[in-house]
Amino acid sequence: MRRYVKLYWQFFKTRLKVMMEYRVDFLIGVASVLLVQATSVMFVRIVFDHIDVLHGWTFHQLLFIYAIAMLGRSIEHIFFDNLWVLGMEYIRPGNFDRLLIRPVNPLFHLIADRVQQDGFGSLLVGLVVLFTSAPRLDISWGAAEVMLLLLMIASSAAIFLAVNLFFAAFSFWMVDSLPIMATVQGTSDFARYPMNIYGKGIRYVLTWLIPYGFTAYYPATLFMEGSGDRSIAAWSPAVAAASLTIAYLFWKRGLSSFSSTGN
Amino acid sequence: MRKYWEMMKSQIKIDTTYSAWYWAGTVSMLLKMLLVYAFWHAVYENRASVNDMPLHAMITYVVLAMLLNNYVAGVGVQLAGQVRDGSVAIELMRPYNLLDKLVALDLGTKITGTIREGLPLLLIAYLFIGIDAPATWTALPLSIASAAMGVLIGTQLDLVLGVAAFWLHYIWGLHTLRSAFLLFFTGALAPVSMFPDWLRTASGFMPFQSMVYVPAAIYTGQLAGGDALTAILVQAGWLVFIYAAIRFSWKLAIRKVVIFGG
Repeated sequence: MRRYVKLYWQFFKTRLKVMMEYRVDFLIGVASVLLVQATSVMFVRIVFDHIDVLHGWTFHQLLFIYAIAMLGRSIEHIFFDNLWVLGMEYIRPGNFDRLLIRPVNPLFHLIADRVQQDGFGSLLVGLVVLFTSAPRLDISWGAAEVMLLLLMIASSAAIFLAVNLFFAAFSFWMVDSLPIMATVQGTSDFARYPMNIYGKGIRYVLTWLIPYGFTAYYPATLFMEGSGDRSIAAWSPAVAAASLTIAYLFWKRGLSSFSSTGN
Repeated sequence: MRKYWEMMKSQIKIDTTYSAWYWAGTVSMLLKMLLVYAFWHAVYENRASVNDMPLHAMITYVVLAMLLNNYVAGVGVQLAGQVRDGSVAIELMRPYNLLDKLVALDLGTKITGTIREGLPLLLIAYLFIGIDAPATWTALPLSIASAAMGVLIGTQLDLVLGVAAFWLHYIWGLHTLRSAFLLFFTGALAPVSMFPDWLRTASGFMPFQSMVYVPAAIYTGQLAGGDALTAILVQAGWLVFIYAAIRFSWKLAIRKVVIFGG
């Protein structure tokens, strides 16, 4: 374990040097994701210019859900982004073999190979949105609440990671599963809105099949009165742990049946 | 003209061969439709109209805008990639205008997209989500003309990425920046008429609302009569301006190729 921490630190330093080398690129990357998130907040603002409540939810309650989604996603985006290119940049060109002959866990190597600066954009917007919305909720923020919130954000990040890991592992059989990953990730947008506006089918899928509901909506309800979903919300960390385990086992399965595209 | 026609056809053949992204795109669009359907229904829960639009008009607008939003991007990323890896130098020696070639390929992709994704999705939206008929009998031809103009504007404007790639490395970042900006200012998320005053005024001075808001609003009748005609004229103006501006900046930019080539 200590060896891996040290190794990650070495990888991380190299990545930082690359980032500092291309400063304009760094700024473009951060600005791009920042704008993506800012426009979605602006969209909610515009809608709430015309209405007071959305299915009983206020503007700030909705922003709070957004904040948890953005922060969870940003952690996953910054540290685990390389999973997206497993097929495109590793398996297809035969680069993955390079990872397999090294004396470290290939998943660790894959993840440590990239630190994605763009994620800082959503981290920034997420923090701003959190600090705007959290004080306006009907809750007094003490140390316990803050700890709970941090735990929920960590769970959110873990679920984003687990789902991506699971669907990235398909690349071992089909060379590149990027289209599947992109489609699945798209469904996470549903969890940014109060999930009681959807029908039973959508809620079931996002709770039990692809647990994106636990990346934003459920954890947020822990801090709000009267949604009726608080009993589910407390399960978020457990769901995160279970999803990570399942995803990792699936990854192992894929790895063992992987045969190189090389010659 | 004939060679560009052939290029467009070859692109249609390529697009129909690779199907993974097609299915991914279609499923994503269906999911998005479900999302906006649920979202706007929740918005209209206790009221008959928002911004003077009843629910069915809003749903119609949002679904059309979502479909039109698929056309706002183009081959800019491809061009930028060629600029970055240097293959643009060889492309420039070939007996065609590179920008016209890319536009032809892009239109090929957009034609395949319309036939196997746009129209089926429109049909599904019509059957299951319930979108309105055009506001008046003139609204249909006008909105189709306006949509065609919007598609051409998007195709041309996207080439900006290729020009920018002569100076900036990070194409993925530019691509994301472009998408976020367009998603908002084209009116793909919500009609521009819902924007606060200052933002609506600002949008009026930019070409982006020509790509989505104008055609969709003509269809739903928010832009009608003289306003609709004026909007289409403005679109034509933007198209000519963008076409000329891109060609001009491209001429300046490719001088750098000579320098790189040494």
